Amino acid sequence: MHWNGKDSAVFQAQKEFIDTAVVPLIQIDGSDDGFRFAASAADFTLSLANVIENQFKGRIILFPSFSYTKSQDKQAVFKEWQEELNKASFKHIFFVTSDRDWSTIGEEQNIIWIPSVPLDSMDQKMRNSVLEDQLRQLIPIFAKKWAN
Amino acid sequence: MSNNKVSRRQFLSYTLTGVGGFMAAGMLMPMVRFAVDPVLQKKEGGDFVLTEKKIADITEKPERVDFTFEQVDAWYKSDITNAAWVYKEGDEIIALSPVCKHLGCTVSWEGDPAHKNQFFCPCHSGRYEKNGKNVPKTPPLGPLDQYEVRDNDGFLEIGKAIPNTLA
Repeated sequence: MHWNGKDSAVFQAQKEFIDTAVVPLIQIDGSDDGFRFAASAADFTLSLANVIENQFKGRIILFPSFSYTKSQDKQAVFKEWQEELNKASFKHIFFVTSDRDWSTIGEEQNIIWIPSVPLDSMDQKMRNSVLEDQLRQLIPIFAKKWAN
Repeated sequence: MSNNKVSRRQFLSYTLTGVGGFMAAGMLMPMVRFAVDPVLQKKEGGDFVLTEKKIADITEKPERVDFTFEQVDAWYKSDITNAAWVYKEGDEIIALSPVCKHLGCTVSWEGDPAHKNQFFCPCHSGRYEKNGKNVPKTPPLGPLDQYEVRDNDGFLEIGKAIPNTLA
């Protein structure tokens, strides 16, 4: 489900089944050497988030990305997002990112870190197959978290 | 010569009939056009999409076949990729939609090792038999949709989704 009016109505009616929020974490980088890499990583993360949404449509709500700059205190904002989403009584909140900074925080905070694959030069078919491969690795991770 | 002369009265009546006829036609034409419009509408959705799957390669084991078509949203065109689970039942080819009838997740064939020979939805453990029939006591309330299929020169073509005919 997406974060829009129609889907959120379904969510509120079906809370027992739709119990998971997915939030992409995106770093904004304005510096010369980081700009392109950050943009490419954002493209990858958002595309992957859409594929995840398509696979688990009936159990997750895909939120708009949480974007931050390098200098921001992202831990604090991260906590606030978690608290806010908890109000909607999600049982699980997953964060998807390819920003290396989060990889150290890792599993117990439900941050799923996937190294970015540059999709820029791929055609649509190649992109889809790369994203499908990534998705296949993610399905067991989701299933395991849901089982707990 | 005098017989062929057109009198003023005749001339006026000819012109008026002529002009009146044009005006009447001008009014009636659009009305007729509107009335028959539904017949002239181009049919959408009935089109078949060619896949890269050879008919000869289809086996009894359901296999995922992706197909891409162009969707037009107002002025924005995008390529949508859909998938189908395709298998052979005798000589007949069955293509099932992978969209779970519960809340719209994507099901996979033998996605749960505990249940062989069934489709499995990872979201809420919904299950379907091979023919798309939902397994009772799992969340889905109906069978998987089926796609129309046809053979195009040895390659599979997938058409629009039709509700599954299983009871």
